[in-house]
Amino acid sequence: MAWEERGGRRYYYRSVHRNGRVVKEYIGTGPLAEATAQLDEAERRKREGEARAWKEERRRMEELEAPIEELCEVGEMFARAALIAAGYRQHNRGEWRLRRGC
Amino acid sequence: MAADGGERKKRRQESTAQESAATVNELRALIVRVRDGDERAVPRLREILRKAPELARRFVDPAIQTERIIIESFAGGDGGQVVREVLPRTLEALRIELGGWSPSPLERLLVERIAATWLQLHYFETLYAQNMDEMKIPQGEFHQKRIDRAHRRHLSAVKTLAQIRKMGPAVQINIAEKQVNTTG
Repeated sequence: MAWEERGGRRYYYRSVHRNGRVVKEYIGTGPLAEATAQLDEAERRKREGEARAWKEERRRMEELEAPIEELCEVGEMFARAALIAAGYRQHNRGEWRLRRGC
Repeated sequence: MAADGGERKKRRQESTAQESAATVNELRALIVRVRDGDERAVPRLREILRKAPELARRFVDPAIQTERIIIESFAGGDGGQVVREVLPRTLEALRIELGGWSPSPLERLLVERIAATWLQLHYFETLYAQNMDEMKIPQGEFHQKRIDRAHRRHLSAVKTLAQIRKMGPAVQINIAEKQVNTTG
């Protein structure tokens, strides 16, 4: 969003995406342009706030996932290790079978 | 003085965490060696398992901390006090139902894993259901993927405990009783 000054008057433009490109769209001048600029600014702030909140939400979720993922990984590994120690071996990465002689 | 004590405690915790991570990495490498047919890795693997109760606890504790955070997040809404009362009891009942009154360290680890993944899945599903109307499509997809992952983790946790139980007492007591092998 931008104001451009020419001949002592201010003109309001906004940038919009059109057919995959960013183009400058002329809005106008005077009170209507002022009001539009204010609305655009409020919308921009709202979007920024939402993006920040979403980023924070994702960070919080990741923090909640990490220790449980670690517990899962370690639990799986201990289970495998216990099976191996008891004489079991995994057959073709599938079924666990007791090794001969155990 | 208090600051020194805090610093020492922090250093000790960091050192323990590094030691745990190193042991887990070694265990992972030993499992791969056995999988590839190197039976010489088994004695060292057994030796690590003898330390398992202590090692397992180090991974259970942060997960329990996370459970508390999740319960607090649940309790943030209406009826918070009820949630604070009910959810820990539900989790405890689940632990007893799955592990009995005196589970072996391995069972305790696996039961804790099931309780944690159950709570996490429940939390993600509730969060999604509560906010579904306000979510944009990418946010909805993000939550659905997160729920799918939590669901897979939970199923895998249940499957592993069932597998260990199916194999019988030898596997279960290997960690707890220091390699008493009762099979064969």
